[in-house]
Amino acid sequence: MLSRKMKESIKVALAMTIAYGISLSQDWDRPYWAGFAVAFVSLASIGQSMNKAALRMFGTLMAMVVALTFIALFAQERWAFILTLSVYAGFCCYMMSGSKHAYFWQVSCFVVLVICFDAGPDPVNAFDTAMLRAQQTGLGILVYSLVAIFLWPSRSISAFNAAATELACTQNQFYQACLGLAHGQGDVPEVRRLSALGVQAKTNFDQLLDAAEIDSSDVWELRRPWRRYQQQQIKLMQALERWRESLAEVEALHLRRLLPNLETFGVEIDGRLAQVAQMLDDHAPQRVPQSQELSFDKAALRSLPHFHRATVVVARSNMQQLEQLTRALFETVSELKGFGTTTVTVDPPPRLPAALFLPDLDRLANVIRYMAIIWMSWLGLIYINDLPGGAGLVSFAGSMGIAIANMPQLSVSKLVAPAAGSVLFAGILYIFLMPTLSSFIGLGLMIFAATFAITYLYSEPQQMLGRALGLAMFVTIASISNQQSYNFLSVANTAMMFPLIFLVYATTAYLPWSPRPERRFVRLLGRFFRSSEYLMSTMRWDPAHRTTRLERWKQAFHAREVATLPTKLASWAPHLDNWALSSTPMEQVQTLMTSLQLLSYRMERLLGEREKLQAPFLVEQLLEDMRAWRIGIQVSFQRLAQSPAAGEQEVLRERLDRTLDALEARIQEVVDNIPDAHYSERDAESFYRLLGAYRAVSTALVDYVGNAATIDWAPWQQERFV
Amino acid sequence: MLTPVPHEFAIGGVYLPPMLIAAFVGILAALVTTRLLNRYRLTKFFFYPPLVSLALMIIYTVLIGTFVIGA
Repeated sequence: MLSRKMKESIKVALAMTIAYGISLSQDWDRPYWAGFAVAFVSLASIGQSMNKAALRMFGTLMAMVVALTFIALFAQERWAFILTLSVYAGFCCYMMSGSKHAYFWQVSCFVVLVICFDAGPDPVNAFDTAMLRAQQTGLGILVYSLVAIFLWPSRSISAFNAAATELACTQNQFYQACLGLAHGQGDVPEVRRLSALGVQAKTNFDQLLDAAEIDSSDVWELRRPWRRYQQQQIKLMQALERWRESLAEVEALHLRRLLPNLETFGVEIDGRLAQVAQMLDDHAPQRVPQSQELSFDKAALRSLPHFHRATVVVARSNMQQLEQLTRALFETVSELKGFGTTTVTVDPPPRLPAALFLPDLDRLANVIRYMAIIWMSWLGLIYINDLPGGAGLVSFAGSMGIAIANMPQLSVSKLVAPAAGSVLFAGILYIFLMPTLSSFIGLGLMIFAATFAITYLYSEPQQMLGRALGLAMFVTIASISNQQSYNFLSVANTAMMFPLIFLVYATTAYLPWSPRPERRFVRLLGRFFRSSEYLMSTMRWDPAHRTTRLERWKQAFHAREVATLPTKLASWAPHLDNWALSSTPMEQVQTLMTSLQLLSYRMERLLGEREKLQAPFLVEQLLEDMRAWRIGIQVSFQRLAQSPAAGEQEVLRERLDRTLDALEARIQEVVDNIPDAHYSERDAESFYRLLGAYRAVSTALVDYVGNAATIDWAPWQQERFV
Repeated sequence: MLTPVPHEFAIGGVYLPPMLIAAFVGILAALVTTRLLNRYRLTKFFFYPPLVSLALMIIYTVLIGTFVIGA
C-alpha cells in the first residue's frame, strides 16, 4: 500500500512528464513554462490545487494584457518602461500581502516581469511570447488537473467536514475553559493553549472551505450559508476573546451573586456550542436554543463601588453578545445540515459607508524593498557588462523577490543552502546525465525520477521553500527543448546569478529599516504607543468640535494600527535570536506580547464606548476628573513610544489607585447630589461602560509596564552584524 | 615578499577567474570576522555595521587577490 506522500509525489512527477511530453511533441517553444505550472499548482487536494491553478491562470492572463500594454506604450523608452513596470510590480506587491487572492497578485506581477524582460528586447515577437506563456501555463494546469482527478483523487470534502467539526469542538472547549475562569476554577495556560488551537483550526477551516467549494458540489450549493457560518465564527472568536480578557477584571467579584442565573446561562451557551459540533458531525440536535436573559441582582449591584459596577456591566454585555452569536450560529448550522424546521431568513448586510483607504505601513515597506530589488537588478543589467543571467537576472530577482519582500522576517542567509543544493542537483543531471539520453523514454524517466525525488523529499508544508527552489532550479537549468544543447556555461551562469540575486536581496533588506528582528520589534512597539497616544488625544470631550474628514481618516488609521500591531509583533517574536535574548527568557517576551494584545483589545473597547452618547449631565459633572485621567494615560503612552521600558509599574499603579479612589468619591458625590430625573438607567449603564473601559486600559497599561521592566532592552539597542 | 600562487584555477578542466576565487574567500573571511566580532560583543564600537561588513569583504578580497592569489 502506497503512502499518501508517495502517491502525491507520483502524481506531480507524472503530470510533469506528460506536460513536457505534450509540449515537446507539439514542438512548442519553452516547455519548461508548463513544468513550472505543474510544479507550483500541485497541492494536497483537487480543490486546493484547482483554486491555486485558477489564480495562476487568471494572474497569467492579466499579466499578458498588462505586459503587452507596457511594451506597446514604451517600446523605445526604457526609463519610462522600467518606471511603469516597477510601479505596477509595487502595486501587486502591496495587494499580495493583504488580499485573499494573494497568489493571483504574485503571478500577475512576476509573469509581467518574465514577459517584459523576455519580449522587451524583441518587441516584434512580444505577442507570441505572451501567448506562449499563457498556452504553456494552461497546458501545465490542464495536465495536472486531469492527473489529480483520475489518479488517486483526493477530494477536500472529508477533510473539510472534519475541520468544521474540529473548529466547533475547539470553540466549545475554549468556552468551557473560559466559563471555568468565570467561576474561579479555570486554568489560564490551558485557556491560552485552546485559544491558539482555535486560531489554527479556523485557518485550516478557511483553507479547506475554499478548496471544498471547488471539488464538492454539496459545499458549492450551500456556499452562502457556509460563508455566513465562517463570518459568524470570526465574530464568535472575537467575542470569546473579549469575554476572556474581561474575566480577569471580575475575578475578585462574586459574579454568581451579582448575576443569579449565570450558571443556567453558562450551561445554555455550552449546550448550544455542543449541539453545533454535534450537527456538524451529522447528528440531529437534541434540543433547540432556549431564550436566556442575564439579569442583575440590583440590590447586590448597588452595594458595589462604582468601578466594580462598571466592570460587572461590561462582563454582562460581553456575555449577552455571546448569547446572540451562538443562537445565530446554531440556526446557520441547522440550515446547513438540514435539521432546521424553518429556513433561516438573513437580513441583507447593512450598507456601509465607503471605506476609507488606510495604507498599511509594513506593506508599503515591502513595496519599497521590492521596487529597490527590481531597480538594482535593472541598473546592474544596463551598466555592468556581461552580468550572469542577462535580462533573466531581473525576471528571476523579481519573481522570487515578491515572495521574499512579503516575508521580511525571512533571513536571506536561510535561502543560500537550499538554492546551492538545488543548483548542484540540477547541474549534475544536466552535465552528466542528460547528454547520455537519446529519446523521450529516457528523458521522460529522468524528468519523472527527478521530480519525484524533489517532491518526495520536500513533502512537508514547512519544506515548501526547498521544494519550490528545487523544482524551479531543475526546470530552469535542464532547459529541456527539442533543440537541446549542452553548455557548461549555462549552469555556471545560473549558479553565478544566484549570489548576485542574494546580494541584491541582502542589501535591500535594509530598506526602509534594519532587518534585525529586535530593531523591528522595538520600532513596531513605538508605533503601537504613538497610535495609542493619538487615539487618546482624540477622546477629549468637546461637543462643539466638528470632526473633519482628515481627522476621521487619521483616527481610523491609528485604530487599525492599534488593532493589528500586536499580531505583527507576534510574527517577529519567534525570530528574536540569542543576541536579543541573551539575558531575557523567551517566556518574558511572550508575556509582554500577551499584555500588549490585552491593551489593544481594551483600547478598541474604549474607542467603541467613547463613540456612544453619554448623558450630558454626568459628563459635565465629571469632565475635569476624566480629562486628568485621560491626559495621564496619554503621557504614559508618549513615554512608551520613545522607550519601550519607560515608566515604573509601582509608580503607575499607585497613581492609578489614587485616581480611582478620587473618582469613586467624586462619582458618589455627584450621584448623591443630583435627582434621578437628570439621568436614566440606560445613561448610567452607558456611563459605567465608559468608566469600565478607561479603567481596563489603565490596568492593562500598568501590567504592560511591569512586564516591559523585566526585559533587558540594552542588547536590543546595540549595533551588531546581521 | 610573497610569491603569488597560480593566476588561474582549473577545476575539471574549467578555468575560473582568480578574482572570483579571491571574492569567494574574501566573503568567507569577512563572514567569519563579523561572526567573531558579534560573538565577543565588539560590534558596539562600530557606527553602522552593515557598511563595515561590506568594507571587510572588499578589503579581504583585494588583499587575498593581490598577495595570495596574485590576480
